[in-house]
Amino acid sequence: MEGVHKFPNQQLFFQAVFERSNEAIIVIDKDSHIVEINPAACALFGETRNQLIGNLISDWFDFPLDEKIAEVQWQQTDGSSKTIEYNRVRDLLPNYHLLVLRDISNLERATAEKLEREHQRVKLFAEVTLKIRQSLQLEEILRTAVTEVQSILQADRVLIYQVFADGTGMPIKEAVLPDYDPILGVEFPEEVFPEDYRELYTKGRVIAIANVRDPHAGLAECLIEFMDEWRVKAKLVVPILQNLKSTTEIDGDRLWGLLIAHQCQAPRQWTEFELELMQQLADQIGIALSQAELLENLEGLVTERTAKLRQEISDRTKAEFALRRSEEQMRLIANGLPVLIAYVDKQQHYRFNNEAYQTWLGLPPSEIYDCHLLEVHGEEEYQQIRQYIEIALSGKTISYERDLILLDGCIHSLSITYIPHLDDTDSQIVLGFFALTSDISDRKAIERMKDEFISVVSHELRTPLTSIHSSLKILATRKLGSLSSKGQRMLQIADEQTERLVRLVNNVLDLQRIQSGKVKMNKKACNATDLMIEAVQTMQAMAQEQKIKLLVEPVSWTVWADHDYIVQTLTNLISNAIKFSPCNTTVWLSATREQQNPPQQPTITQITFAVKDRGQGIPSDRIETIFERFQQVDSSDSRKKGGTGLGLAICRQIVEGHGGQIWAESCFKEGSTFYFTLPELINSE
Amino acid sequence: MNNKRILLIDDEETIQEVVQLGIEIEAGWQVAIASSGLEGIDLAQAQQPDAILLDVMMPDMDGISTLSNLKANATTRSIPVIFLTAKTQAAEKDQLQSLGVVDVITKPFNSMTLASQIAKILRWEM
Repeated sequence: MEGVHKFPNQQLFFQAVFERSNEAIIVIDKDSHIVEINPAACALFGETRNQLIGNLISDWFDFPLDEKIAEVQWQQTDGSSKTIEYNRVRDLLPNYHLLVLRDISNLERATAEKLEREHQRVKLFAEVTLKIRQSLQLEEILRTAVTEVQSILQADRVLIYQVFADGTGMPIKEAVLPDYDPILGVEFPEEVFPEDYRELYTKGRVIAIANVRDPHAGLAECLIEFMDEWRVKAKLVVPILQNLKSTTEIDGDRLWGLLIAHQCQAPRQWTEFELELMQQLADQIGIALSQAELLENLEGLVTERTAKLRQEISDRTKAEFALRRSEEQMRLIANGLPVLIAYVDKQQHYRFNNEAYQTWLGLPPSEIYDCHLLEVHGEEEYQQIRQYIEIALSGKTISYERDLILLDGCIHSLSITYIPHLDDTDSQIVLGFFALTSDISDRKAIERMKDEFISVVSHELRTPLTSIHSSLKILATRKLGSLSSKGQRMLQIADEQTERLVRLVNNVLDLQRIQSGKVKMNKKACNATDLMIEAVQTMQAMAQEQKIKLLVEPVSWTVWADHDYIVQTLTNLISNAIKFSPCNTTVWLSATREQQNPPQQPTITQITFAVKDRGQGIPSDRIETIFERFQQVDSSDSRKKGGTGLGLAICRQIVEGHGGQIWAESCFKEGSTFYFTLPELINSE
Repeated sequence: MNNKRILLIDDEETIQEVVQLGIEIEAGWQVAIASSGLEGIDLAQAQQPDAILLDVMMPDMDGISTLSNLKANATTRSIPVIFLTAKTQAAEKDQLQSLGVVDVITKPFNSMTLASQIAKILRWEM
């Protein structure tokens, strides 16, 4: 059996196992006396074989005989304890038991130490992470990272190298022991940090070199020289990758930079723990970078928004200031004006009163604020003004006059206007009204004086005019004797001019009376044709004298008018037409009917009267002004034509007093047409 | 009808003259003159004219007071009175007419047509 190893004598073999076993092997009898014991057990107990054989096992070692396998703490005489793993085999041989003991104290300690180390690593890592994460400021994050890594690894230099977009880069943070030169701000040559390195790092490659000069490290010569320059013996490089998805739409990592540890004093074997620590810190830096960038973006947004807000606040403050100033000015103006100014809401409560309420009426604005008009003015006065309040609250402006005893005890004439306050968004909604009251007592006094003056002048002019006029008429009868032909001519001039003066006085008084509103238009139903015919009849003699033909186009409409005044208007217009028409021409009188449909108002039907001549016409620049007082086309007209310059002004006042309009259309040298409108009387039946 | 007798009550002498002359020339009527209201009342009672032309604005007793006196007196009550006035406003004329006069003639008037104006008002034939 060449080649077959012959197993030695069994007894010798087991004897050798027993003697050389690292496990403590003890054989005890049924009474627990030690029968046999191997050298490892002797060593465990610290006794010789002879001292132990025959003795009770319990004298040295108290263990639970009942247990088959157990782990017990064995208290030593020096106070220390050992952890013993105990294994019992009962009745290995009849009445003999086998005990196998193993001191596992060292193993347990090693495990505990390992656990402790792990714990320390986790704790350390957590602390550094916390320190990095405590700040959202990039500068502080990077500074903390290099300082902490340098401290934990006990490295000679730790730096953060930032990779720029163009592929270049430089150390931007560094923690270095004082014995070595700082590398901060030094731009690494291209060959030291080529593109293929960058690609590897982008994929997450970690490079740990225990000895830069070791050929197995595979460093290029130029890089070794660069390492020598900075006295680097060993280095550990981990990439700092930034997740682009957090700040951009791109899904992927970007090589932001490198976390580098240098050992300069001697080569160094980097441990797994150190690699892991560096890598995890680089990951944390990457996350922190994204967060810092987000924060920067956020801060940018916040800064931008804050600036906008500041501008808005500034604008608003300015606007509010301007508004306050404007309000204050308005208040000053409102209080300074010699008028009563109030705002009344829809429920007829005062919402604003100027100080004139105090001085005129003895009503302090603060006391009448929020009070109902009825409460402030009393039942009697309220009933007098109620109709106007209702008009204002229906959305229409209304003005009226009334006399009132003011605080000075005198009766004052007041002009009151209510202006509705309409909703900005819906003009159908009335929110309240503004009430403006001015004292027109002085104006009224002047008007009274003027009326009295005109009344006196009227009488004082008319009486001597009557005498002059009558005297001339009597003389003209020649009943009192004949005059020479020149004397007759002088008498004729005096008579004509007196008549003109009579017309002028009459017109001045007419115009004054109509303008003052004292004339009450006595309106009634008038047939339009009748009015025109009556006016024509009045002017027929004058027309015949001038060889002018007067023509009326009959119509059937009825107008609502003061008969006398409208005949006066037509007469005035015919008179003008005759005066300015050449001989043997015609003056036409006509009337047309028109309907107007103003939005949201009842249909208005009106009659337009027209007096048309073939006269000299009116230049376009004078067509508007001829209705003013003493505004004739030619200033010599009044002398040549015997007019007063007031006829058209009177016509306008009369027509406007009827709610109508008057105007002229003319072609210079071809003739003019004067129009005026009157409301048509529509038979309700 | 050349026998009409008119009484003019007016304080203005020139008016007195032109009215008197005008009516006489135009119609041949007699015109008696009174320069005041009181004088006019006396003359009216004494002469019983066919019509009275009465000025409104006169010193002492104005036309309105004179009219009320004439209307209060049984002997003058039925004599038609025509006011002569410089007041021309419709309201004023209406007011004067409401006092019981037959009409109101406003100044300035033409004394040479005054007689025919009066005849028209009073429906006299001329």
